[in-house]
Amino acid sequence: MKIFKYIMLLFFASLALNSLAASIEKSIEARQSYMNLFAFNLGIAGDMAKGKSEYNAELAKIAAKNLLSLAKMNNSAMWPEGSSNQDEAGKGITRAKPALWSTYPEAINKHKKLVTALERFSLLVGEGRESLQKGIKSVGRGCGGCHKNFRAKNK
Amino acid sequence: MSNHNKIPTSLASLTFIGALTGGLLWWLSAPQTFITQEQVNAIKVDVNNGRHLFYIGGCASCHQLVPSLLKDTLSNNLLKETSSIKSEEAPIPLPQLGGGKRFTTPFGTFIAPNISPDKVTGIGNWSDLAFANALISGISPKGEHYYPAFPYTSYTRMQLQDVLDLKAYLSILPSIKRQNEAHQLSFPFSIRRTLGLWKRIFFNSAPLVKLDNVSPIVKRGQYLVEGPGHCGECHTQRNKLGVLNKHRWLAGAVLEAGNNEAETIEVPNITHDETGLGDWSEDDIINYLETGFTPEYDVAGDVMAEVIENTSQINDKDRAAIAAYLLAIPMLSSPEE
Repeated sequence: MKIFKYIMLLFFASLALNSLAASIEKSIEARQSYMNLFAFNLGIAGDMAKGKSEYNAELAKIAAKNLLSLAKMNNSAMWPEGSSNQDEAGKGITRAKPALWSTYPEAINKHKKLVTALERFSLLVGEGRESLQKGIKSVGRGCGGCHKNFRAKNK
Repeated sequence: MSNHNKIPTSLASLTFIGALTGGLLWWLSAPQTFITQEQVNAIKVDVNNGRHLFYIGGCASCHQLVPSLLKDTLSNNLLKETSSIKSEEAPIPLPQLGGGKRFTTPFGTFIAPNISPDKVTGIGNWSDLAFANALISGISPKGEHYYPAFPYTSYTRMQLQDVLDLKAYLSILPSIKRQNEAHQLSFPFSIRRTLGLWKRIFFNSAPLVKLDNVSPIVKRGQYLVEGPGHCGECHTQRNKLGVLNKHRWLAGAVLEAGNNEAETIEVPNITHDETGLGDWSEDDIINYLETGFTPEYDVAGDVMAEVIENTSQINDKDRAAIAAYLLAIPMLSSPEE
């Protein structure tokens, strides 16, 4: 009888672990999609800044507004504990470094800087291509602030 | 009797050969400086160009004071975001070059020194000549060889004017009091004199790639990338002696992150090969160096994000020069996995 109990305990424990791993995997997928949305909107404004596409104030403003909304969105559920590149569930599928969780207040500060840069950006984008170019540089710095400390290289 | 005579003779010969070899090695490994006081005296410095060179060289990426040491060493006024030289961008924090960053390599751990203008713990008391010979000859003011973890192997290609302009800029940055720590290296790497032999064989200022009939902008790019920018120090594979493989110039590298060989870092190929920059245009490279955005609008991360912090501060012309050079050098495929 005791053996049966242990087997059942192990069975449910492994189910719980599997479901935790699956939920972490979903969170990682969600944040990667979230980053893709950033990239998509950055592409609209960035291509105009580079001269790759024609400057269109309205489209640029929409992209900037989307970026700001994305940055302000509460995305905390996408970053559960145990989802770094050093955790079992995250190995090979994420490049988020454990430092993101261990120095969390720093990450928050960097995120605030990105929001500030995007607020400035959304005011600038409608004023012409030159303003857009200046603004996007600060946005790049804002994004890089987090990526420098919290995203690992390819390997 | 004759046997007894032979032993001392052989011993004497061996001692003589040993002493001769030792003397020769000692002579070959002697520190050599290439810059003279007369050359230094002929230069009139330009601090604005020095600031530009500071960002091309990315000095802060290695020498910026480690944040954990910040509280102990800085007075509050240095923490303000301010810049003494006008920049077209919003003010950025003044670099605080107290050092302390650790670099774990297969040879041991190198600890970045204090290069702030502090007269006791930094380089505030260095003469222009000492500074020039540090960067161009790889020799310290005390007359010792530097380890090539300090990339004088690239800086040796710098023009003396740029070197002294850089020193002028460093001298107006905040003084940071932080005593340097000794590198933690294993034998025989711990003996600096051995570097003299290494330098005899591997250290020279010749261009890394031969580019015939190229435009002035590509030439400028070559100077920046192979000299002050020292891009090849990370993006080119090294051998076990730490020598860059010039035949694999900028084709990426797999670096051992420390003593553990299994722990590796992949540094990307930045030649124009499809396994490297691929279809990146000149504008894509320029934009990346300015904003950190790839053509797909991913963002530079990790060490490259630090590089972008620097290249975003340099002028458009030099970003364009770097891009032109990267597109002009031979295409090479990335190292195989």
